[in-house]
Amino acid sequence: MKEITELNLPEDIKYSDSHEWAKVDAEIITIGIDDYAQDQLGEVVFVELPEVGAALSKGDQFGTVESVKAVSEIYTPVSGEVVEVNANLPDAPELVNNSPYDEGWIIKIKADDPSLLASELNDLKDKAAYIAMLKG
Amino acid sequence: MKPITVQKIDLNLIDYIEAFEIQKKIVSDMINGNIEHDTILILEHHPVFTLGKRGGRDNLIVSEEFLKSRDIAIIQTERGGNITYHGPGQVVIYPIVNIEKRRLGVSDFVCSLEKTMIRTASDFGVTAVTDSKNNGVWVKSYSKLGSVGLSIKRGISFHGLALNVNLDLTPFSWINPCGMANVAMTSLENEIKQHIEIKRVKEKLLYHFKEITGI
Repeated sequence: MKEITELNLPEDIKYSDSHEWAKVDAEIITIGIDDYAQDQLGEVVFVELPEVGAALSKGDQFGTVESVKAVSEIYTPVSGEVVEVNANLPDAPELVNNSPYDEGWIIKIKADDPSLLASELNDLKDKAAYIAMLKG
Repeated sequence: MKPITVQKIDLNLIDYIEAFEIQKKIVSDMINGNIEHDTILILEHHPVFTLGKRGGRDNLIVSEEFLKSRDIAIIQTERGGNITYHGPGQVVIYPIVNIEKRRLGVSDFVCSLEKTMIRTASDFGVTAVTDSKNNGVWVKSYSKLGSVGLSIKRGISFHGLALNVNLDLTPFSWINPCGMANVAMTSLENEIKQHIEIKRVKEKLLYHFKEITGI
């Protein structure tokens, strides 16, 4: 596993305690799993995606990531409706390992309540706080 | 941080579903904070075929009616991996462990389970190895001795490992184990042609698992 100092943790996204990331673009939030998560999972062989249109509350399980011989649940860091899933992942699950923040994004959520979104984002960690959590 | 304690429970010979319900209850108690310790279940199952989350029914070679006639169920599970068989004479360990709290990576934890089986096999004079392409534990030219399959929920790992000790290997011939054709299965007894007591294997597995993971 990578040392904490080796992790790629961009500044412009927020992190959940369960190692998902969220990137905000107006009311659309893109969600994936971060470099720490993909590294400790190992080679991802399958990503189970939710249905477009699914309504999710913060903390809900929205899919699973299967690495070799292990199926791990993944949880949404914000509430809203799933408006898009990454259609490339069924054929190329390794994108989650190789490009966790770009090509390996998992879902896009539309938040319907701006004040709820603001408070949920506020509960997530920025890079510094996330690193502090990883260091324990 | 105070050390996490571990409770070890020997369930002896138990139905798959019953053991699964016990696992689920422990996981939910851990998530709810009702229990803070980790738990290791060690057991053997009555004959059963289980499917991985993504299935494996297509790797069943015989008909489901045939299995019914033998009174063997097929059960869908949420673990990783493909179809496999459990039965008496195979030691199963379900470490229900908060790997997040212990800062163990999933892939490292899978490796620890494999290593636990390799060292145990070695204690009984069987040389086993891992394979970079196919997880699990193998002897010689591709006979499978042990399997791994895990689920991770809220940082808690459940399901676990299965090591073939002296079980009847015939039911494996009714499937493509782990979804691979032409895989031979073996057991510790099949390798050394001597009787091995299940109790000793259980002790060795728990010993090596603790040596390797500290759990």
